[in-house]
Amino acid sequence: MSFGILFWDEIRGFIKSKIMITLWVGMPVLSIILHFIQPNAEGMPVTILTSLLLASIGGLLAAVMLSTTIVNERNAKVYDLFLIRPVKRWHLLLTKYLAVFLCLLIASILSIVLGIIIDYATIGLSATAIILEALKSLAIALAAMSISCAIGILIGILVNSVALAAILSIYLGEQLSVLAVLPSVLLENINPALFSIGIGLGITVIVIIIEIAIFNRKQF
Amino acid sequence: MSVDTKTQEPIIQFTNVSKKYKDVQALYDVSFAIKRGDIFGYIGPNGAGKTTTLKILVGLIRDYSGEIKINNESLHTLINPGNLIGYLPQDVGFQDWRTVNHALTTFGLLSGMKKTDLQQRIPEILELVGLTEARNRKIKYLSGGMEQKLKLAQALLHKPQILILDEPMSGLDPTSRWQMKNIIRQLAESDITIIFSSHILSDVEDIATTIGILKDGNIVKIGSPQDLEQELIQGDTVEVIGEALMEKIVLIRDLPYVVKVDGEENNPNRLTILFNPNSDLNESIVSLLHFLSENRIVVKHFNYMKPSLEEVYLKYVTGGSA
Repeated sequence: MSFGILFWDEIRGFIKSKIMITLWVGMPVLSIILHFIQPNAEGMPVTILTSLLLASIGGLLAAVMLSTTIVNERNAKVYDLFLIRPVKRWHLLLTKYLAVFLCLLIASILSIVLGIIIDYATIGLSATAIILEALKSLAIALAAMSISCAIGILIGILVNSVALAAILSIYLGEQLSVLAVLPSVLLENINPALFSIGIGLGITVIVIIIEIAIFNRKQF
Repeated sequence: MSVDTKTQEPIIQFTNVSKKYKDVQALYDVSFAIKRGDIFGYIGPNGAGKTTTLKILVGLIRDYSGEIKINNESLHTLINPGNLIGYLPQDVGFQDWRTVNHALTTFGLLSGMKKTDLQQRIPEILELVGLTEARNRKIKYLSGGMEQKLKLAQALLHKPQILILDEPMSGLDPTSRWQMKNIIRQLAESDITIIFSSHILSDVEDIATTIGILKDGNIVKIGSPQDLEQELIQGDTVEVIGEALMEKIVLIRDLPYVVKVDGEENNPNRLTILFNPNSDLNESIVSLLHFLSENRIVVKHFNYMKPSLEEVYLKYVTGGSA
């Protein structure tokens, strides 16, 4: 039962602290702006440009957001009041991961749908082709973001300084998330979306298991 | 050291509890019992192990040795100790975006309360701690005293049997301290067992029914405030302030009911006089006043002295256990 309460509590926190609105408005707007100000992208469908942006900026935002939030909350001893109640420690971590991932998923869908609409109106590609391409791009971007989220949590529970957590998240969170994108670039004759989802899910699960083990042993 | 559990069965029993942080032994074979309805004041210098003891009790520290029983059941096997215990931690924060109402709702739900029960319980508890007006205010805009009351409110929300307060009066102004002490007394009357740590000895003396003194991870003394003070009393002592009392010190010393007279050369107008424990206190006082009057000694202040908790504390903390 505590899982659901914690999950909606996290979501409410994102709404109240205006993180959600910033992501949901900021990411789609950023992809459109980039399309218009990037001369090299001329002719490139906004859908593709958006997915590239999501994989890099989205992952980075996720890692920084999670790591700094967790360090802040640990330093402010926010978790004591949760852990003295019948709350499992892994619920705290997993609900954070899921809440951030859900926020990013919605922001990504909004951005890509906006890209499809712009592409349909400007380049005039067939709707089916754009949607298929968009889904493929979305899957790769989400796999990369999932890895970033997991790395962000790991940094959050290991590091004590907010600044250090942000720096490490930028170094590691984004770089490691590339693992989900690489197969589609390096290997031929594979389904890049399926491959990315597999790698993204695998790395995420392994990292989350490690951080749950660390968090369970952590002294509060 | 072990403590007499008296006739009543204890609600909390520590037996040989030890805790080590890397190279530091925070608690060493701590054993004591707390009776139901007690207000247990836990005092000791910084780093003595007070917060460690309380954190073990609420389940935040789990790797300790020894045995803790609550209601005669081991803390390790209790399914939800959090339901029995309310905890006000010393340093704890809330996320910036939370309002008072939202924080209490979340913590109430996490404690297993129903939303409908919370709708009734939250106003009740806010009234008790005096935060009704601040119900919809963001926590980050509360004063230090109000935040402390909110911490108390979240600890009481689920009607715990045991309330653990880590430095509840710390950082409070005199009015808020007075209010907090009143609330604690009120709660103890409703049969809640209260354990609180404090650096403010006068507060502990005011409200505790049992006091435990912790030093270097050991309980060095435990007892009621009266028991502890009694230990320091060598006999009945009075303080006399008047004029040129030092000149009469030899005369006073020779009185049959006086054992000892102390005075300081730089304060010749003040004497402390220890009466013979075998003589009647009232008769001794009357005789002394009569003697002072007969010898035309001007007395401006005459006070019966009792040892303070501070003296008891200093004896055990700086002078080792008795």
